[in-house]
Amino acid sequence: MFASATNTTLKNTSYKVVFPFYLYAAISFLAATVFLLTSTTAFTGHYFHPHILAITHTMALGWGTMIILGASHQLVPVLIEAKLYSNILAYISFILAAIGIPLLVYGFYIFDMGWPAQWGGCFVVLAILSYLINIAISMAKSKNESIHAMFVFTATIWLFLTAILGLVQVYNFTELILPSGSLHYLTLHAHAGIIGWFLLLVMGVASRLIPMFLISKYSNGRLLRWIYALINSALLLFVVLFLYPGSEVLLFIPEITVFSAIGMFIYYCHCAYKQRIRKQVDEQVKLSLLSVSMLLLPVLLLIIVIVFLISSSVEKVNLILAYGFLIFFGWITAIILGMTFKTLPFIVWNKVYHHRSGLGKTPNPKDLFDSSIFKAMAIIYISGFIIFAAGILLSITILLKAGAVLLLLTAVLYNWNVLKVFMHKPKQL
Amino acid sequence: MNVVTNNNIKCTEALAALRNVLDPEIGLNVVDLGLIYQIDFDEHGNKVYCRMTLTTQFCPMGEAITDGVRNALQNTFNDDTVEVDLTFDPSWDCEMISEEGQIFLNR
Repeated sequence: MFASATNTTLKNTSYKVVFPFYLYAAISFLAATVFLLTSTTAFTGHYFHPHILAITHTMALGWGTMIILGASHQLVPVLIEAKLYSNILAYISFILAAIGIPLLVYGFYIFDMGWPAQWGGCFVVLAILSYLINIAISMAKSKNESIHAMFVFTATIWLFLTAILGLVQVYNFTELILPSGSLHYLTLHAHAGIIGWFLLLVMGVASRLIPMFLISKYSNGRLLRWIYALINSALLLFVVLFLYPGSEVLLFIPEITVFSAIGMFIYYCHCAYKQRIRKQVDEQVKLSLLSVSMLLLPVLLLIIVIVFLISSSVEKVNLILAYGFLIFFGWITAIILGMTFKTLPFIVWNKVYHHRSGLGKTPNPKDLFDSSIFKAMAIIYISGFIIFAAGILLSITILLKAGAVLLLLTAVLYNWNVLKVFMHKPKQL
Repeated sequence: MNVVTNNNIKCTEALAALRNVLDPEIGLNVVDLGLIYQIDFDEHGNKVYCRMTLTTQFCPMGEAITDGVRNALQNTFNDDTVEVDLTFDPSWDCEMISEEGQIFLNR
């Protein structure tokens, strides 16, 4: 009559699959902030700088992508309501990415587009391919159709295309494969990654998790399907405009389309928040909700960049640098800082205490990390972020240095708390 | 939400024990959260059957919650065999949270 509680519907992705991704991401964030501090002068020049490329790829791949891959191996089963197809593919994905990312970053840092960057890029592409296969088969085996899962799957396709283009750009430095130089394709590569991968993925997962964490009655599949369609159309239009360039004014069409989709997503989060049953919102969710509004900053900045491009045909390099910074150190970092402590303590708690559940008092998952360090980290992070962004816009080295120190401190506190969660030992009952 | 049972006295005892099993994310017990659908007792076979759900299928904390329910019932009914069955029909809904649970979440 009933399905057994011990059947496969309860078997979640093993914590052993997820942990390495979290650890790797934490170390990458630390490394990126060290690079940031030692390369502050690069932020007063052009964005196509070896150190900036190294920092961007450490943040995009080592930090953002690795933690998303780790968390999604755990969360995709929740979204598609089916088991993850293969833990082995997840391990393969981790190993390939873990080898590829430092090689690629090293290649950028010393600006040698020879074997380290080329091999690094190949490993990263293969890592993404194994993740894509894992997600595709998991979804195919699921009986449920979910708009959240469509977001995740489409985002992974965009990530794969971004990585392929990136790899071709790397090879294009040493032997001409593309019609133009690699720098020409940077905008396409960056936006396929930022909008196609990060934006779609974050929206797909957050639209499921935010109402879940808030215990909200709100759900609006129709609105989510609109958001999905708008973002993908905007990106496809951007690709067409890139391949067949016309007037710069046309760039406003995809920009406004993405802007509308973000507006709708903010509305979705607002409705979920308003209709929540759980009145108390913890600090981690607050930081993640803040990151949703932080999405607007780079979009507004991009409008200014396009206006400059139309009015004077001049690239405002500091605005473009600030645009990238607002995305990687702003929106993406804020959501990860919040969501790490909304997911990792639960995974560790599940590992340590699930057999003891119901047998006596156990600590709460939120007790596994230090909340005062979390609060301090959040304050230092926001200050560092604002100061560094001001430093880029005003080209003031002392502001860049001060901001970088605060962001490094943020990474230290983040790593401290992540290690505290990892090292948690079971308390005696 | 009312829990279906064939033994009101033992069910009260079981629910008291299950009020110590918390959803680790929400901090609310499984009874007030509305996860327990049915608790039946087989007097002859010395068995306790519990039918329950989770807030979401493939909930990452699902195993911990069902283990908690099994452990709590086993602790209360030492000599009986405990069987915990999981169902998603009907699936959990916010409306299933008890009044006490609503008050807890509104704090």
